[in-house]
Amino acid sequence: MRSHFRKLAAALALALCSALPAAAQDCPIRIGAILSLTGSLGSVGEAIGEAGKLAVDEVNAAGGVNGCQVEYLLRDDQGQPSVGLDAAKSLVEIDRVSVLLGAIQSGISMPILTSVAIPSGIPQVSCCSTAPSFTTLAAEGGTEGLWFRTIPTVRPQGIIMAEKAREMGYENPAVIYVNSDYGSSLAHAFEEAATAQGLTVSSMVPYQQEQSSYRAEVSTALRGKPDSLFLIAFPADGANALREWLSLGGPQTLMLSNALRAEEFVSAVGPKYLSQAIGIDNSQIEGESVDIFEQAWSTAYGTSPDGPALHNMYDAAMSVMLAMQAGGSVDGQSIAENLRAVTGEGTPVLTGTEGFAQAKELLAAGEKIAYHGATGAFTFDEFGDVAGPYVIYSVKEDGSFGEVDTWDTARVDAAVQAFNDSLK
Amino acid sequence: MTGLLAYFVFFATIATIYAIIVMGLNIQWGFTGLFNAGVVGFYAIGAYACAILTGPARDTLIGGFGMPFLVGLAGAALAAALAGLVVALITLRLSEEYLAIATFGIGLTVQLVALNAAGLTGGANGLYGLPRPFWSLFDSVQAFNLFYLVFVVVIGLLVWALLARLVRSPWGRLLRAIREDDVAARSLGKNPVSVRVQSFVIGSAIMGTAGALYTGYVGFISPIDFIPILTFQIWAMLIVGGSGSLLGGVIGSFVIWLIWTGSGTLLSRLAPPDLQAQSSAVQVVLIGLIIVLTILIRPRGLIGEKSAVSSKK
Repeated sequence: MRSHFRKLAAALALALCSALPAAAQDCPIRIGAILSLTGSLGSVGEAIGEAGKLAVDEVNAAGGVNGCQVEYLLRDDQGQPSVGLDAAKSLVEIDRVSVLLGAIQSGISMPILTSVAIPSGIPQVSCCSTAPSFTTLAAEGGTEGLWFRTIPTVRPQGIIMAEKAREMGYENPAVIYVNSDYGSSLAHAFEEAATAQGLTVSSMVPYQQEQSSYRAEVSTALRGKPDSLFLIAFPADGANALREWLSLGGPQTLMLSNALRAEEFVSAVGPKYLSQAIGIDNSQIEGESVDIFEQAWSTAYGTSPDGPALHNMYDAAMSVMLAMQAGGSVDGQSIAENLRAVTGEGTPVLTGTEGFAQAKELLAAGEKIAYHGATGAFTFDEFGDVAGPYVIYSVKEDGSFGEVDTWDTARVDAAVQAFNDSLK
Repeated sequence: MTGLLAYFVFFATIATIYAIIVMGLNIQWGFTGLFNAGVVGFYAIGAYACAILTGPARDTLIGGFGMPFLVGLAGAALAAALAGLVVALITLRLSEEYLAIATFGIGLTVQLVALNAAGLTGGANGLYGLPRPFWSLFDSVQAFNLFYLVFVVVIGLLVWALLARLVRSPWGRLLRAIREDDVAARSLGKNPVSVRVQSFVIGSAIMGTAGALYTGYVGFISPIDFIPILTFQIWAMLIVGGSGSLLGGVIGSFVIWLIWTGSGTLLSRLAPPDLQAQSSAVQVVLIGLIIVLTILIRPRGLIGEKSAVSSKK
């Protein structure tokens, strides 16, 4: 009886101790998100915002973070950096959020990072910004370790595609790419890697979106007499450009970017012209943690989670809350350190309310956890980037897609490492 | 409270930068009647000129000269003035509507050049890691922000003083004469084209200065900072505030920018959490509604232009 009493007292003391830091901080804990809910990306932004909300709702159902309920404040940047900046500043200064999620476009995430997040010592986790400039800035020490993103950058895609080009025996591919931060980053990563592989990129041709004709761009690309084409485009423009390419006698040895893995593109071009094409895409990640997320999404919103970056936004929100729980604090430095800790080595924890509840138990027991998210398991590297698995796809005769090669995270990491070493 | 103050300092800095652009447009439209629909282009030229002059050197860039900020500021005004001169010489013989179309095209062109001339502008990725002026003199961000607000306000007041002097001078009366009746001005032996060019160049230089101030404050610029909607915002500020009145333009800048950003804060507090994602559509409607109502209720703007002749006898 006496030992029971002692155990109880010890448990009580422990509970009190662990409750102390929670009492020291203000409830509720606030998370701010800045996304493009209107403007050119409004159609995808709304669903991305809801993915973040789903994670917060689940954590609250599991009893919240550090004994506090979490409040999710979502603000619109209207696709304009100055509006996004203002939203970020008011979230940080007036609403006192502990962390910022977003934005979608790199051109908005960057000013928020450099003029709001870093000066205020608040971590920023983006679901969607892929520009390589963040990696450069982090390498220069400009992000002070406060920048993270749950979407893989396009650099590995360029490196893998260059490797595939060499495998296929192409010698002087041309590149036609959409002139956005995504397109130009991927194109230049490919060019750099292809050159390192001993290939010669015959021409790099950017195009503007939503033009009625791409004849001029295609002619420019054909001038260097390329033996193949790497087309980095979105479906409608891509089909438009490729039809011109084929009609002007361009070779059918094609390499396609991830966004072109779309029925719309294949039916607009015709599958018979795509028999020699290969493409790269983020691999459909499978596993229990993914299923739990998708199930929860369907239950909550009655649709399937098909939009871009939903999974990444969910993971951004979830990993931030795990980091707060692991550090027992909403201090910016603590969150930043623990973001790496909860995605490193440890006992795997999954998504959903149960996943978070389990993580809380493990952390309370002093164990390390490794979050397996809606995008599978991932690890933030020293620059806040994550690597992801890829698949090389082909187009079958009936217009459906096949998989000809898979690149898991380890293989991707090795390829990137080998390329980095070759630069030295 | 300190948080609210910190936010206000930030808000006022951006609003003052916009107020400076509005002053540039005011001299062009408010006083001279030149319909510049490419405001964002001159603002962008100033911003990029400053970024190229003051930014850090990078392998992939031609620019990055690491010069002091004041050089960047002067360079921005000069570059925008030059651009204004070229544009003015080409387009100012055009009448109103054609001038609007031509300048709108020029605004878009500048943004496309920024997007494509990657060696100079960083392309879609923009220019980043730009130094903030006098940053090292301050030990806290709040102190720097406060300093920068004062700095921007001082520049704004200088521009104001310059314009106030100009529009009171005989030259200023000439501007209004040309605005009201081109033929009458010519019959008095004045050269409207030359005066229009001068007015356009001065306005452009002011817009360029504002661009440099934005660059110095944010430390990052990319083409999406210069999307056409900014031109529309600046126009809304001028019209709501009262075109032809310096004070009106400044008040309009603060009012419109407050509506533009404050409606977001307001809605995020009023809207139920489940509808947060949808409420932003209401924000856009609200912004439009307020602008339309202001113009309906006060057609000459919040502060209209002072009548130059005494109409009441």
